[in-house]
Amino acid sequence: MTAITVHNRPARDSALIAGRNLQVLRKNPGRMIYPLVQPLVLLVMFVSVFGNLAINGHGPGATGTYREFLIPGIIIENAALTAPATGLALLRDASSGLADRFRSLPMARAAVLAGRLASDAVVFAVQAILLLALATLLGFHVQHGVAGLAAITAVTVAFAVGFAVLSAWLALLINDPETAERLLFFPAIALAFISSSFAPVAYLAGWMQPIARVNPVTAAVGVIRSIAGGDPAAPLAAPLLELGCWTAALVIIPGTLAARRWQAAR
Amino acid sequence: MSDPTAAPGTSQTATTAIEVAGVRKAFGQVTALAGVDLTVAKGTLTALLGPNGAGKTTLVRIIATLARPDAGRVRVFGYDVLTQAGQVRAHIGLTGQYAGLDDALSGHDNLILIGRLAGLSRGQAARRAAELTAALGLADATQRLVRTYSGGMRRRLDLAASLMHEPDLLVLDEPTTGLDPGSRQQLWAILTALKATGTTMLLTTQYLEEADRFADTVHVLHHGKIIASGTPGQLKSLAGGKGGSLDDAFLALTRGAGTAQEAVAP
Repeated sequence: MTAITVHNRPARDSALIAGRNLQVLRKNPGRMIYPLVQPLVLLVMFVSVFGNLAINGHGPGATGTYREFLIPGIIIENAALTAPATGLALLRDASSGLADRFRSLPMARAAVLAGRLASDAVVFAVQAILLLALATLLGFHVQHGVAGLAAITAVTVAFAVGFAVLSAWLALLINDPETAERLLFFPAIALAFISSSFAPVAYLAGWMQPIARVNPVTAAVGVIRSIAGGDPAAPLAAPLLELGCWTAALVIIPGTLAARRWQAAR
Repeated sequence: MSDPTAAPGTSQTATTAIEVAGVRKAFGQVTALAGVDLTVAKGTLTALLGPNGAGKTTLVRIIATLARPDAGRVRVFGYDVLTQAGQVRAHIGLTGQYAGLDDALSGHDNLILIGRLAGLSRGQAARRAAELTAALGLADATQRLVRTYSGGMRRRLDLAASLMHEPDLLVLDEPTTGLDPGSRQQLWAILTALKATGTTMLLTTQYLEEADRFADTVHVLHHGKIIASGTPGQLKSLAGGKGGSLDDAFLALTRGAGTAQEAVAP
């Protein structure tokens, strides 16, 4: 007989799972290209192609440059496009023999989901920091220096975690890795575009505007623009509250549903 | 094996590892288990025999807390698999049909992760991993990623993972299927040594000669019901005549049961 007793240590178990996920990234560096390298390429492409399109005083970002307007949108767009990876990774675990292993261990069952979110939050943070560093080189200006950059990183991670939770639930609902891979990116792309990421809401097609106004992407981009100071007219409190509500709702509702789906013994 | 914490309030538990009573399970229209009763004595090796689709894996998954029975009761060391799943998990190790390992991590990292999730400290997990990899002939491969392992190595690592927390009951679902004769022999040497330490084992197998050589008790499962139970010798005598093999007995039993079923079918 061993010294094993039933333990209920969700924080410890979640940390172990998060550590395992980061270890997998370290040992398989190819898996870091999508979340960490591709966003940098996209940033350079977008800024190089569209950065000089709009002229001061005309079009989007009337008081700043379009570049200043565009970069917060690209940061959030990348977060939205990385979030489905959370669901796909969770589904990969759920579809492998590893799921039975985890379920047969005397561990906290919610730890697989919580640990995945924790390790992905680290990935989202590194992604935001790299994007901000490159954006600064490309001429993006953030007020309040390092504090401003840290605040933008925190906002990006909060937004991404909300989307990641949603992708976790959807992936477990779809329950087929190949289908999930094809389906999860579609809403992320749609939400990234039907927002104020690339143009002010008033410039979007009429049918898009109501969606864009309540879209959490618009809220997150609004908060970043306000923090960066690219648009002094941009308010901070309203989009911050909106983003806070979205993130809380996404973590609580799809989070509970995802945890339930993972835990359900078949 | 004298566990003071086991078995609150069950008289049989002193000698019984598993009690299965009236267990039924259906997946939609398909009946997997149609009322199974079974007892496994502590310290014994019990084999579940049956053709493909007989319900072996379903029964094993219910015992290992991975599936819920529709009806009936299952106790492992006196703990109910539904209401005391945590306690059951603390006492069992599972080697499923699909290796419960992370391909993207090294063998060593897999064992440490699984050991720690089972409740071991880092030091305990490291010591146990070293012991097991040495005993299972994996010491030279522990730093390699699991995806580079051969089938036999993978199976042995999976077994090591199941043994990290020194379970009192080891549940093995077709542990030798797909292995070459050398690897099968090696695995059986390990299981035999394990049995000598008092570990109770329940395994499913399609290799009748394995059940014949190693099992104390054999249960034949057919169409979701146990149609015969006994020692390999007792089952062989059912096939009639001298020199009957377990294969003969098995074929006679399953064919007979098939006819019986056909006879009652409308």
